Amino acid sequence: MLGQLGENAKFLAGGQSLIPLLKLRFANPEHLVDLNFIAGTSFIKQEAGALHFGAMSRHAEIEHSALARKISVLHDCAAGIADVQVRNRGTIGGSLAEADPSGDWASALITLDTAVHCLGRNGGRTIHLSDFIKDAYTTALAHDELVTEVEVKIPPKGSGGAYLAFKRSAPVYPSASVAVQLTMAGDVCQDAAIALGCVGLTAIRATNAETALRGQILNDKTISAAAEEARAAADPQPDMRGSAEYKRQLVVALLKRAIQIAVRRARGEQVEGAHLYA
Amino acid sequence: MVEEKEKKNGGRWVGASLPRKEEDRLLRGRGKFADDIKLREMTYLRFVRSSYAHARIISVDTSAAEALPGVVCTITGKEIAAQTHPFIEIAPDHIQKVRDYPMAVEKVRYQGEPVAAVVAESASLADDAAELVQVEYEPLEPAINAEEALLDKSILHEEAGTNRVWSGTWEFGDVEKAFRDAAYVVTIDHMHFHRFSSTPLENNVVIGQWEPKEDRIHYWCNNSFPSFAIQFLAAHLAVHFDRIRVQTADIGGSFGIKITSYPQMSVCALASKKAGGRPVKWVETRSEHMVSSAHGNERTFRDTRVALDKNGVITAIASRHIDDCGAYPRYEPLGCVIYSQVFCGTYRFKNARIEFTQTVTNKCPVGPNRGYSRMQHLWFLERVVDICAYEIGIPADEMRLRNYIRPEEFPYTTPNGCVYDSGNYPKMLEVAKKLIGWDDWKKKQAEARQQGRWIGIGIGTTLDSGTNNFGQSQIINPYAPFSGNSQGANCKLDVYGEVVVAVGSCPQGQGHETVSAQVVADVLNISPDLITVRTGFDTERNVHTGFSGTYASQFAVSGLSAVHGAAQKLKAEMKRLAAFVLQTTQDDLEFGVGEQGPEIKARSTGKSINYWSLANIVNVNSAVLSEELQDVTLNCRYIWRAPFKVPDREKKYGNLTLTYSSQLHIAVVEVDRDTFIPRILDYVAVDDCGVAINPAIVEGQVYGATAHGIGAALMETCAYDAVGNMLTSTFSDYTPITAMNIPKIKYGYISTPSPHTYSGAKGMGEGGAAPIHTISAALQDALFAEGVFINDSFNNGDSIFRSLQQREGGQLSNLVRMEKR
Repeated sequence: MLGQLGENAKFLAGGQSLIPLLKLRFANPEHLVDLNFIAGTSFIKQEAGALHFGAMSRHAEIEHSALARKISVLHDCAAGIADVQVRNRGTIGGSLAEADPSGDWASALITLDTAVHCLGRNGGRTIHLSDFIKDAYTTALAHDELVTEVEVKIPPKGSGGAYLAFKRSAPVYPSASVAVQLTMAGDVCQDAAIALGCVGLTAIRATNAETALRGQILNDKTISAAAEEARAAADPQPDMRGSAEYKRQLVVALLKRAIQIAVRRARGEQVEGAHLYA
Repeated sequence: MVEEKEKKNGGRWVGASLPRKEEDRLLRGRGKFADDIKLREMTYLRFVRSSYAHARIISVDTSAAEALPGVVCTITGKEIAAQTHPFIEIAPDHIQKVRDYPMAVEKVRYQGEPVAAVVAESASLADDAAELVQVEYEPLEPAINAEEALLDKSILHEEAGTNRVWSGTWEFGDVEKAFRDAAYVVTIDHMHFHRFSSTPLENNVVIGQWEPKEDRIHYWCNNSFPSFAIQFLAAHLAVHFDRIRVQTADIGGSFGIKITSYPQMSVCALASKKAGGRPVKWVETRSEHMVSSAHGNERTFRDTRVALDKNGVITAIASRHIDDCGAYPRYEPLGCVIYSQVFCGTYRFKNARIEFTQTVTNKCPVGPNRGYSRMQHLWFLERVVDICAYEIGIPADEMRLRNYIRPEEFPYTTPNGCVYDSGNYPKMLEVAKKLIGWDDWKKKQAEARQQGRWIGIGIGTTLDSGTNNFGQSQIINPYAPFSGNSQGANCKLDVYGEVVVAVGSCPQGQGHETVSAQVVADVLNISPDLITVRTGFDTERNVHTGFSGTYASQFAVSGLSAVHGAAQKLKAEMKRLAAFVLQTTQDDLEFGVGEQGPEIKARSTGKSINYWSLANIVNVNSAVLSEELQDVTLNCRYIWRAPFKVPDREKKYGNLTLTYSSQLHIAVVEVDRDTFIPRILDYVAVDDCGVAINPAIVEGQVYGATAHGIGAALMETCAYDAVGNMLTSTFSDYTPITAMNIPKIKYGYISTPSPHTYSGAKGMGEGGAAPIHTISAALQDALFAEGVFINDSFNNGDSIFRSLQQREGGQLSNLVRMEKR
């Protein structure tokens, strides 16, 4: 349908990005194709060691899903997006397809083995999340293609994760966010995935910070070393959410905290990760 | 139905925490607001706004917009200038030459200034058409920073010849001698109070109709000071006062901002005239509100010197204050004198010299915002007190006790002649310290410091001066034709004996219907349920005076004094009438409620007459009235006038406000060592507004004012870049405080009744922005040991992080110096 309507048409999912753009007259499409109320697009299920989310699953549905709690990063992320109103409307598929540099989902999911299932006129395809997000507001989706499902592999036992963001107030985008997924063997970090949100054109994988943790006993020193690598990896723009230097500092503070939570979760502890507010 | 048992205050309704009469309507979404008003043939207006902070307008082409189907007309600044007079300026001399119109004519002077307007059949058509208006600009050098603007490198209003709006010096006592005799002299180079907005939930709304046949203008709007707006509009539009009718409905917050919507009111009327008399509705968007309503005054404090004796008692303060009023002075420069209502804050010092200068800049015009012009000054004084205390080594609480005006000194005359009616600041401190657990927190703070944590405990003492003496405007401009203050009210028995009260206020949730009914209920000894109160301004209701509206913490004083006066007048008439009907003396009469409703009874005979019968005699059975009762109308208008004199314009001396509520807040704040985010760990707000007419409403206002202040202190700032682009035009950028950011507030109160009001009540509501002073104090307490000087009223994780970074360069400590003699 979008193909027939041409370039001046847009999909409307939860509308939490598109509606504000329309309101501010930054976007002015002639047609909106409403994806709401299409049967079978909103679901959360576990299959073959992975969680599957229908593209139209609302953030709030994921926040309150017992299944989604199996992957801490998912629950942390869903529960912290904007405010209740936004979480009740916004969708995981819509958020990924929008690829806003400040969006929460991409930075959270990129630390996990995440596949995005897409559907277009020429049939379906599956794109790994790291190939899906191309640039700010740019994905691998063709104009008439949409996300149908997000598939996230459940991390192995002994792996723990956390997603933390700092927001100046509930409804706004974070100033910075950090996602961590650690695989631990005792005090030694066997594997680490670290992503930084809102501090670049896309979510940034802090690979040097990951390297700094891999094979190390996690203590104040090794955690600080990784946090400093993350500070260097961040490439933030100054704006009302913070100066560039401060956003880098937030990355350091959030990463330290997220690693500590992830380590405890890897040990099987129940830890509530809470987003930080002003 | 309200219960008799609520009458706790000596058997009176005044003092009872009654639920608001308005509650049902407002909380169930049944309020009627200006945007709810739909009129036949209504049209919708959208402004075209400047994208530049400072630019010459080369051309405005509205042809494409006019060609769009559904567009009724367009109107430009030039068209308006051709048919109106410039707005009155309150500032004297060169500012009288400023040609201030409701839309830009030759130049734009701030980003968001209206340049043209489009009127269409629907709001969305107006939006579409506004985008088709082509404006060509020639950019000019912007003046963004106040102190740079005063250098006049780029002048906003060429006709005035300078950016300086007004300057004056307040000097009292012997400042030089105090500095000669001082044991300590503390110097503070630079402090800054930031620009923010009180962001009411409902934006500005105007519906204007220029009724062609009658040649009169009818407004429905949410302006919060219509009497004032009409005075500005009448001269500007050259229309007689009584041909401008203003009606307001429920209003969703103003905090002073909606006082200054008269430029938009002008445009709606003129657009209506051009549209053949069709009503024109303008509903402001949030972004428009953020870029172009009325921000709060931004102020810089330079070269502050403080003299203290050996005990840390402040003997003199000298300072230069530079106020930034944005692009147009308009209601300003009243802020230049309003600050002096609280000239010495809560302190006893007698010698002071404040050199006050106001300038225009290429930013949104400022206007009254909750705490207007006094909060800036009170913040300044509280910073001075804390910094001096630290430099000399006196604890912050002890420092205040040594400097506070003492309870036995009230009524206290300040160095500039203001009379503080009552107060007890040491008592408030005691109550607040007890509520917060002062000693416990001091202990915890010391332990936390050992662990390297940054915890600060701060005190903020502040004043909420209410019921202005408008004569203070003559200190700014000796020709200003204003003085004193007045409010009107009407109290009547309707034809069927219903008690109906009308007041000249336009409340925004303050509960005027409830408190007015409480006052009248006590006068007539009936239940507030039996009293109907009509609020909301309506020129044709004829109860307003030139000062009517709802602003400046005064309704409990001016509004209720007028209501009380009108009720007394009605009662006197009812007595005369009842004595005649019941054939007895007035002394024999008793007011109360009988089997047939509210009535007046003769104690001697037991005979009574109810309100319906009384009203009936006057209105529809008047043949029975005796000759001497012919003047009775049972429809009584009363004008209350505040007992003010015109201040001494030269000496800047005189009583500027009638009542002084006081607030004392204590905050415990921790700054996170990693994120630098300040977090409030504990918070106490203690209030003294004399006799509270309705304590529940007072408490609610304290919470609201506290939330506003916390938001301003930690989250909210109106930011501009170097060329005058506004960076906070949406709530996503501005981040107004939400429930998520408000800590639990522990509320306490004391009551020192005002001797200046009939009821002992004082105006309250603005709250003196106590949290801004208090949070600055707590942050300063947390970071003194780190060598960080809190010299700005706005602090967040980012600014604290940067202050700590800069400190390593050794910059900040140079801004404060102490000299011991």
